[in-house]
Amino acid sequence: MLKRFLSERPLRLPHIKPYVPRPSDPSIFWFNSEREDIVAEVVSRICADHESDGNRLEIALNDAAFHEIRRLEKQRDEEARERLGYWRSMIRRIGKMDEAEQRRVLHTIVTTMTHDVAGNFDPRVYRFARHAVPRLIGGVMEPSRLTKDLMGSSPEALGRVLKVQGDLEHLRYLQDKGSLVFVPTHSSNLDSIVLAQALEISGLPPVIYGAGKNLFTNPIISFFMHNLGAYRVDRRIRVSLYKDVLKLYSQVMIERGYHSLFFPGGTRSRSGMIERHLKLGLLGSAVEAFTTNQVRRIARPVWIVPTTINYALVLEAETLIRDWLTEEGQARYIIEDDEFSRIDRWIAFFRKVVGMRGACIIRFGSPIDPFGNAVDGSGQSVTPTGRVIDPGGYVEHRGKAVVDDARDAAYTRELGEVLAARYEQDSVLMSTQVVAHVLFRNLVQATPGLDLFARLRLRGEIRLPCDALCDELGETCDRLREIKNRGRVRTSDVVDEDAPRELLDRALSFWNGYHDSIAASLEGDHVVIGDPSLLLYYQNRLVPWAEEIARPDQLLAACEIQKLGVHR
Amino acid sequence: MSLRIGVVGAGGFGQALAIASARNGQDVLLWSRKERDLPDRIRSSTDIGSMRDRELIFVAVPSQHAVSVTEQLGEVVDGRHLMVHISRGLIGDDLQTLTKVIREKTVCRRIGVLAGPLVADALAEGRPSGAILGTGFPELTTMVREAIGGSDLRIYDTKDVVGVELASATVGFLTVILGYAQAMGAEPGTLAVVATRGMVEMARVGQTLGADESTFMGLAGLGDLIAAVAGDERPELRLGRALARGSKLQAAIGEVGAYVEGFEVARHLLEHARRSGLETPISSTFVAVSDGRMTPNDAIQALMERRVGTE
Repeated sequence: MLKRFLSERPLRLPHIKPYVPRPSDPSIFWFNSEREDIVAEVVSRICADHESDGNRLEIALNDAAFHEIRRLEKQRDEEARERLGYWRSMIRRIGKMDEAEQRRVLHTIVTTMTHDVAGNFDPRVYRFARHAVPRLIGGVMEPSRLTKDLMGSSPEALGRVLKVQGDLEHLRYLQDKGSLVFVPTHSSNLDSIVLAQALEISGLPPVIYGAGKNLFTNPIISFFMHNLGAYRVDRRIRVSLYKDVLKLYSQVMIERGYHSLFFPGGTRSRSGMIERHLKLGLLGSAVEAFTTNQVRRIARPVWIVPTTINYALVLEAETLIRDWLTEEGQARYIIEDDEFSRIDRWIAFFRKVVGMRGACIIRFGSPIDPFGNAVDGSGQSVTPTGRVIDPGGYVEHRGKAVVDDARDAAYTRELGEVLAARYEQDSVLMSTQVVAHVLFRNLVQATPGLDLFARLRLRGEIRLPCDALCDELGETCDRLREIKNRGRVRTSDVVDEDAPRELLDRALSFWNGYHDSIAASLEGDHVVIGDPSLLLYYQNRLVPWAEEIARPDQLLAACEIQKLGVHR
Repeated sequence: MSLRIGVVGAGGFGQALAIASARNGQDVLLWSRKERDLPDRIRSSTDIGSMRDRELIFVAVPSQHAVSVTEQLGEVVDGRHLMVHISRGLIGDDLQTLTKVIREKTVCRRIGVLAGPLVADALAEGRPSGAILGTGFPELTTMVREAIGGSDLRIYDTKDVVGVELASATVGFLTVILGYAQAMGAEPGTLAVVATRGMVEMARVGQTLGADESTFMGLAGLGDLIAAVAGDERPELRLGRALARGSKLQAAIGEVGAYVEGFEVARHLLEHARRSGLETPISSTFVAVSDGRMTPNDAIQALMERRVGTE
């Protein structure tokens, strides 16, 4: 009951007088004054699209009623008791309705859905959040500094832990010239929080983003989500009209110049691998927003910013890899009972990472246009040799900009491939990932003929001499540096600078004491592999380069590891 | 309004594309390195910059020149251009398809590959034929049909671009094998087994590179192979026959007098198959024979002794 109240009825602060945005405010400050207009535009465009074809209209209504009845019958909660009757009654009447009535019903359904999706933005909550959230996290990391941090300019602890990389000057220049669409890799529910913080400390604008409705059940998170422009995504709803609403809402926001963020992986990477097969729905909204503006002769560019979020320690690693390894994980899209929902795990996590410099690195990659072309310093699309081109040409047919859904879908597929490649290039490999890879490779090499699951059961059975392991770790880092020098991946400063033994100790220190199980531990002058599943999770980040960073005698093991990535 | 068509390359297929486009009433400009005498309705140029005002560009150069020509085109084209290539080759050790090269060297995105049993003479003379266009862009299909299609040429389409390119590259090599087998006196049934099972093993390799198996069994694969064996006298068939007469590979290529890239492609595909743990008995055995590592009789015996499985 409370969950439903929180997720459906936004808690908002009372307004004494409406906030009038200043010209220097980020675009999102205008959101509340445009909100109703945006909702109306989404409703009107979806209805117009369906009303042009009476058959399509009836199919859309039937699809909505069918899927909602099915969902609500399974849910059997208060929402089901309230809404099931409506949908059952409607599905019986659709066939008897004339077209005018069908249009009215469509309008009502789409309006309700769009209002449910649309967010809210309160500048007061934004100002509070940008001041308080980093300090509270800093306070959790170092309680002794909480009072000082709350009074001071910025919390030291968070600054040590979170590093931001990329051509920030370029992005700061572009933010006033068009719509930026940040598309990060997704490993943890902390991603949106650390990314918001990274944008803040980099002088980049706040963004709107879609947040799963399940996140709105936590009262504190719900309050911030509701008031910081996040739009709600209910992943339980399978109705195609609802998907249209989500996509068009994102599109209209980009068309109007709101900077956006979405995770093309769709959900957190369960395996820990870098995402390769991306969900293209919201990505398509960026391409279509560009097309629509071109057709309307609105000169507002859209730039995509591939972003990687790289953690040395992942809050939910154990749940995620367990989910990937079980069949349950294939269907369990929304996990509501993982570490993210447990405050004690948050505290343990932040306490663990505070002493580790650069435990999280956010890398903003070079921006590209919706067709995958590089963008120069002034925001113009350029060819591989630096010639300036007009991206508007991509949506022209015989000299005229036109809307063509099939063409834009093809562009979106290509953009997805470009992003997947950029994720690999812009991933920053962390100490825990490199150490886990070397340990896991040894495990594979020591157990020829065993399948993955048999290997994962080998807890405490593989002992590796520390000296030899450190030599191998050093060689692997050397090979990674060669690949890095060719621009195909990045490594953290720690991986670049620390001696192998320091890297090993650092990784063991990260894992042990935070994760419930022991990934690996030191016993005398040997390292003992404790939980191969955790090692698998962290090492999976290196799968694309497994063969290249292996010694010739490790090639068979490396091939087996690389094959893990075939279906990623 | 007629389409502004550009054709890059004045070889047999380039000229045929230009002639077919002109026959359909399009405004055709053909680029080649040297001045050419062409039919009246086709203009020609030696300046690659002349492609700038074209809407649809056919790239019809042999694979070994494709990279350099594409680089030159990269300085000319932009997002407005639509581009189709007809290459049967793959480029480099990492088996790059030409669409991938075009995508890397130019900013063109609306790209496709034209393949299948279409041969230059039939296209130029307007004899009934068919082809397959691999592209993710339906508007490109429409434009290519308008440019060269019609009552004499049926152009099917598929989104499996990489499948069309790999199947097409594979046909060249399998044609050499069939030419060899023909000259060795193989009966039609034997040829059918070699052709079908050879295509199946190559389809498996193609799948690991992102292709759809069914594309190999369609016009781009088996369809094209049937045309090759049915008698359109491709150089690959002549190469196979020369090998069967006992010529060494380089000498046989010299006898044929044409650039045959099937072998090079096959070696790369087979290396990829080996690394992926896939079996490619027919192709691997034939490469061993042509390299002199196996006699023809040993090859036949080795293939026939293999365990028979379910199709």
